[in-house]
Amino acid sequence: MIAGIIANPASGKDIRRLVAHATVFDNQEKANLIRRILLGLQAAGVQTVWFMPDYFGFYERALDAFSGENQLSMEIKLLPMQCKANQEDSQLAAAKMVELGVRCLVTLGGDGTNRVVSKGAGVVPIMPVSTGTNNVFSVMVEGTIAGLAAGLVATGAVEEEYSLIRTKKLIIYINGKAVDIALIDAVVLAEQFIGCRAIWDMGKIRQIVATCGEPFHIGIAAIVGALHPIDMRESKGINLIIESGGQRQYPAQSSSIQVNAAVGPGLIRSVPVRSYELMSLGQKVVVRHVPCVIAVDGEREIIVGPEDCVEIELVQTGPLVVDVKSTLKRAAEKGLFINR
Amino acid sequence: MALNKVQMLELYRKMRTIREFEETVAKFFSQGQIPGFVHLYTGEEAVATGVCANLEKQDYIASTHRGHGHGIARGASLNKMMAEIFGRIDGECKGKGGSMHIADVELGFLGANGIVGAGLPLATGAGFAAKYMKTNGVAICFFGDAASNRGTFHESLNMASIQKLPVVFVNENNMYGISMSQERHQNISDIADRAGSYGMPGMVVDGNDVMAVYEAAEEAVKSARAGGGPVLIECKTYRHHGHFEGDACIYRCDEEVNAWKAKDPLPRFANRLQEMKMATEAEIDQIDAEVKKVIADAVEFAQNSPVPTLDELTKDVYCD
Repeated sequence: MIAGIIANPASGKDIRRLVAHATVFDNQEKANLIRRILLGLQAAGVQTVWFMPDYFGFYERALDAFSGENQLSMEIKLLPMQCKANQEDSQLAAAKMVELGVRCLVTLGGDGTNRVVSKGAGVVPIMPVSTGTNNVFSVMVEGTIAGLAAGLVATGAVEEEYSLIRTKKLIIYINGKAVDIALIDAVVLAEQFIGCRAIWDMGKIRQIVATCGEPFHIGIAAIVGALHPIDMRESKGINLIIESGGQRQYPAQSSSIQVNAAVGPGLIRSVPVRSYELMSLGQKVVVRHVPCVIAVDGEREIIVGPEDCVEIELVQTGPLVVDVKSTLKRAAEKGLFINR
Repeated sequence: MALNKVQMLELYRKMRTIREFEETVAKFFSQGQIPGFVHLYTGEEAVATGVCANLEKQDYIASTHRGHGHGIARGASLNKMMAEIFGRIDGECKGKGGSMHIADVELGFLGANGIVGAGLPLATGAGFAAKYMKTNGVAICFFGDAASNRGTFHESLNMASIQKLPVVFVNENNMYGISMSQERHQNISDIADRAGSYGMPGMVVDGNDVMAVYEAAEEAVKSARAGGGPVLIECKTYRHHGHFEGDACIYRCDEEVNAWKAKDPLPRFANRLQEMKMATEAEIDQIDAEVKKVIADAVEFAQNSPVPTLDELTKDVYCD
């Protein structure tokens, strides 16, 4: 009956507020969202919630609204760990919460946040609530509903076959050593710096390796979705080779396959795909363009030197994710919302 | 963002110059050779360097009490700046302003400023002038986290947004307003959140990564120059020294200071340049040595310059 909350105070604030038309998600609103999640968790029967400490102080701010007669009946605790104000916090917090018996992790962030949390989550399911910019893994969902779904998972009230999705992931190897993972996509960029982290210049993309992609996704996954849609549950991935220097405003004409996709909020671009191949589970593909920077789940993260050999593997062992709609439908079928 | 080797090394040289300048000032201040107060920019070099590398001749910058780095990044004379800090007649303001009033209007450097938040309306005015006079110029305003609590911040952002002025507000969030930590002086953690209230884009960048700052400023300046209106960039950074020289800094723990020093923008960029094979260790060492010499020359220039005579006291106060 224990749940955890990992909220990223830095999500939704990068350069895409300027170079795209991305949503501004300030931390006061995230605190408000957390309050709604807590009320959902409590209504579902969760008894204890652990919070990751952070530099903004979501724990104190969210609880500030629950004093006096509004006090929550469940126990809310702050995880005993030192906050470093970087992504290591989320991974460490997830691992600690697993040790403490947390049965469902509610995250607030974008795909990048969930990538990090998944490294520490193991087999504990994640309820990813979107407060980021590109959201394929994380879900745009009302906090109360997310809290209810996560609570039904944490309490075991809804069976796993109805409530959880087993996702895929990519493992990035440099010179044979696994260095990082991606939940949605690993994008090879003709770039030498991490810089502002986000990707908005399609002209720098040389290769895309993805676990999934749908036409209704936003970000690089939208390119996959427009070309060859792959569901999160399907046992395959995709490897795309991009024409160098290609970026055009929609519409465009070229001898390559010109794929028009919503590559960022308000950014619809035509991307020239030279070739693509489907990947099966366990398959590795080689990164052809070095030196480069690899962006994982939308954030430039990995610097690759001119002598490095990089491979990317598709595997089935991604995190378990709460399926909000299916969980709540099953709960209704079981009469869990009816007072008898 | 496509900088070549020469441009990258110039960014490094600029940051190294600021560092050497500041550490030299610290040394002479501790020896009692510099009058007044000095507030050093050590640790924050990537912000001024990354932003000013995107500016043109017609652009303006407004600075803070911690302004040496801004002046150097904008290209102000090291000799004149050092002489000003030493209180000598050959200084930028004839030695009568000191550290907190260094300005060079011909360079578009509207000056350091002893009043917290006072640069904000200056930059906004410069942005208005650029738009009104159609100079295609952009105004940059550097300001600290605590300055965003001042009325001047809100009035300036309001005016810049309603008039769609070409102003880039660059917040240097070093986490402290004098000795008061940000969590004690404001109920937010990201100054960028305040941009939304004025209908302008606000973003957070790693202020200790010169390439991240450069990239963000490049897009912001491009947008402002093209008529897109103001932008707020929040650079998360940290000053290695106290608020002023002589500050015992009892409000910060060693653990925090050391964690930030581990993210020092200078070795971070130097290492990256070497990893990318854009520079050898010898080339970096050579730049360091050249910078040392230039700063030593600036000190010599300052020390050889006379102290202003008594008859200078009332000059430049009123229009002659």
